[in-house]
Amino acid sequence: MKNLLKKNKRGNILTENIIFIVLNIVFITILLLFLFSRTGDASVLEEKYAKQIALLIDAAEPIMTINLNMEDAIKIAEKENFPAGEIVTRTGNVITVKLREDGGYSYSFFNDVEVNANFDTITKKEYYFVISEKE
Amino acid sequence: MQKNKKGAEKIISVYWFAILFIVAGAMVYMVSSFYGKPYDVREIEAGLLTNKIAECLSVEGYINENWGNLNTDNFLDQCGLDFNTEEIYSWNDDQYYIEVNISEKIISVGNTNLKGSCFLQGKNAPPCLESSLYAIDLQDNNYKINILSIVRKTEKNV
Repeated sequence: MKNLLKKNKRGNILTENIIFIVLNIVFITILLLFLFSRTGDASVLEEKYAKQIALLIDAAEPIMTINLNMEDAIKIAEKENFPAGEIVTRTGNVITVKLREDGGYSYSFFNDVEVNANFDTITKKEYYFVISEKE
Repeated sequence: MQKNKKGAEKIISVYWFAILFIVAGAMVYMVSSFYGKPYDVREIEAGLLTNKIAECLSVEGYINENWGNLNTDNFLDQCGLDFNTEEIYSWNDDQYYIEVNISEKIISVGNTNLKGSCFLQGKNAPPCLESSLYAIDLQDNNYKINILSIVRKTEKNV
């Protein structure tokens, strides 16, 4: 009887520890999931790339080609079933980056040049921008 | 004695979870406040605008021969600038202001009201970037060129 009690006591300690560790792991996992979901959020990437592309164009000169790695954004667009070739569009001097059907972020550039945004169909990771003089 | 030890362990685990919640709360707050705000690129944009104007007015240290013909009406065309912006937040293509001073000749383009905001403090005030450069003409005359660039776009950057 004494031995049995001892065994049960040890069992309780082990169960408590396991519950404690599992709760900690669950807690930290939820926290990490929250952090990753915020940092890799589609709206954050749309804003980041729209501004980055607008600034690249502002700094560019005619007869330049700029390659921009957008792998993370393209992956999100693929998850959202949004065509990769339509992520970056230009209307006048406004660049729009769209990674989902109901999203999108626009930012204007002041450099009065002609810009063609093209999806690199070979690497499928990049966009390249051809800068030329306005006719 | 053993009972006390068990009680102490439980209290420690309660404190442990309390600490975890405090740390997690702080992390959630910091991440939300960082990613909840837009990236502020106005200073970079104003810097690029200044560079673009400087390149238009001076080539390899020599002043643009046509600088005398530059005025408020033709400055944007001559320097390859376009101040149209996206149609949002009731913006009316009034998010930029530039002022160029070459040998007492002043050329200003854009929203003049923005110049008054240069004296304002705080994150909502648009950044005003003042730069100077020197250039010479073919007769070796010196010119001091002052450039003031202001980019507003507050709603999209603050």
